Amino acid sequence: MDGSETSVDYIAFMLRGVWAKKTRSIGLAFAVAFAVLIVVTLQVTSSSLEQSAAAVMSVGKANITVVQKGVADILSSTIDEGELGSIRRTPGVTSAVGVLVGTQKVNADNPVFIEIGINPTDLAAFGVTVVAGHPYTASATNQVMLGWRAAANLGLHVGDRFHALGTWNTVVGIYSTGNAFGDAGAMFPLPAVQGYNRLPGVVTLVFVKVANSSSSRAINAVVRRITYAMPQLTTITTASQFGRADVTLVYLKAAVTASSVLAIAIGAVIVGNTMLLSLFERTREFGLLRAVGWTRRRLIGLLLGESLVLALVGAALGVALSFAAISLLGQVPSLRGVLHVTFSANAFARGLATAVGMTILGSLYPSIRAARLVPLKALSYE
Amino acid sequence: MSEITNDRASSPVFTGPSSLGETAPAVELRHVSKSYERTTRALDQIDLRIGVGEFVAVTGPSGCGKSTMLHLIAALDVPTSGSVLIDGRDLTSWRDLSRYRREHVGLVFQLHNLLASQTLLANVEVVMFGTEASVHERRARARDLLAQVDLAGRERRRPTQLSGGERQRVAIARALANHPTLLLADEPTGSLDSVSAGHVLNLFNAVHATGVTIILVTHDLTIAAAAERVIHMRDGAVVADVPTTAPN
Ligand SMILES: Nc1ncnc2c1ncn2[C@@H]1O[C@H](COP(=O)(O)OP(=O)(O)OP(=O)(O)O)[C@@H](O)[C@H]1O
Ligand SMILES: [Mg+2]
Repeated sequence: MDGSETSVDYIAFMLRGVWAKKTRSIGLAFAVAFAVLIVVTLQVTSSSLEQSAAAVMSVGKANITVVQKGVADILSSTIDEGELGSIRRTPGVTSAVGVLVGTQKVNADNPVFIEIGINPTDLAAFGVTVVAGHPYTASATNQVMLGWRAAANLGLHVGDRFHALGTWNTVVGIYSTGNAFGDAGAMFPLPAVQGYNRLPGVVTLVFVKVANSSSSRAINAVVRRITYAMPQLTTITTASQFGRADVTLVYLKAAVTASSVLAIAIGAVIVGNTMLLSLFERTREFGLLRAVGWTRRRLIGLLLGESLVLALVGAALGVALSFAAISLLGQVPSLRGVLHVTFSANAFARGLATAVGMTILGSLYPSIRAARLVPLKALSYE
Repeated sequence: MSEITNDRASSPVFTGPSSLGETAPAVELRHVSKSYERTTRALDQIDLRIGVGEFVAVTGPSGCGKSTMLHLIAALDVPTSGSVLIDGRDLTSWRDLSRYRREHVGLVFQLHNLLASQTLLANVEVVMFGTEASVHERRARARDLLAQVDLAGRERRRPTQLSGGERQRVAIARALANHPTLLLADEPTGSLDSVSAGHVLNLFNAVHATGVTIILVTHDLTIAAAAERVIHMRDGAVVADVPTTAPN
């Protein structure tokens, strides 16, 4: 007789036990849901921010992105022309596109409008398609291409004027990158952005394509050559490595982890406390079960099973609440354009893990206490 | 009322070697004493043998140690000194006392016998979880037993919807679910009127007829008269042990 029975009648037995204590069960499910809400919301928003930032890089569809090492914010990375040239000459590199990325507050709805300085000859390698009008010329001043999302948001068309880089520019083309973040920004000739930011010859990121791009060994070899020759630079091959370059994101992730751990701990304490209290009112029930031959393990199994039911209900509730919360956060003007919310399977998994982890953690001790009750004392308990 | 069936009755349940040979008593108490704290001596050097298939009533005034003795036999508690033997084997040598309680003993208490949040069916099934019986067999057995205690058609009810006598019948159905060889009942009719008590007694008689050993604790002498043998206790000791004249 072990504690892990899953027959239908046993599960029905367990569910009736949970349902019999409606108020307590609903209270616990809400406690679980609250912790799940916090964890999932933090997770989804922080990973959205991370992805938005990482999207700057994925715009380029590169095999490797090169950034300055240890910058607080990826957009404050600086790579000079000499370094760019060295990267281009590195064996195994087929192309290296340098872009200068800046941001500008266009209006209240677009507080973080992204501006990319890139040479028109690099557009194809960068994965940009011009969908209306034509590209700007390499040395043009006062010419801009808008991403199609930006054009739609701002209500601008080819031939209209757009204020950026401290001056009025003519919209000469509309582009698409297939990337939400990139399509919500604007592109300018590289020297125009460098000049406006007083950073002649400087780029923020370098997007590198490798000859044998399907081979991770070939990519790694190029990464080693670049970082050996220029230790002041670092490379990013996937979005998850992003934190290596961007210290802010490292702090953000740490804050999210700390808050999540705290939410889970508080939730576990609430679950444990409620379970301990209910131990007293259920003492006779547990005594009876032990007296008629239930083993300690089976009793622990029942109580953990009840907790699991609450965890599942709480997780479902919590995930639903966090979706609502995130959708509301998406409406906050200062977050618009930054928060491209993506509900991933990962978010669901985290919600579930939070709920299960927290209830099992919280109910372990009360369950063991219940199983330790002397059956006779429990039976005669008034 | 249909007849109580017990498959175990015909086949020997305990097949291991016994220290007393073939005719080991179902229950034997040897110099059993039980003290609570230092002062109260609930049982004082009890010696008692109850044969296989016997129907014994235990009576005596309040506080004389009846419940205490029953709890020791049910392995819900341990004696301070002396030993309790079941089928000739000392309970301390049983490897798994949960299993002993589940498979050899059927327990009926005076009060609080049932799980209020569960259906009658589940109250009977509860002792069969984890046994070899399949879900289907457990259901069938629980239904069958409830029918035998005249509660057919009320399987989905809750204990709170039953009278005291009906509840005790559910408790008896549960006690029989795993085909026990020993039925222990502590004042099962204590809270019942005479008609309900009579109902419950009939059930005990039917169970007895299948060969189950029964120990029935009661302070009511008319109830005790239903048994084959009455043990009178006082101050933790057996003061009389007499066969009844009641026909069985
Ligand atoms: N857990 C306990 N702690 C201390 N003393 C106890 C405990 N249980 C029983 N006693 C004492 O042991 C003695 C025997 O109690 P027991 O319950 O066996 O009596 P009983 O014959 O069943 O009485 P009743 O007919 O009232 O149920 C009593 O004096 C009682 O007070
Ligand atoms: Mg008693």
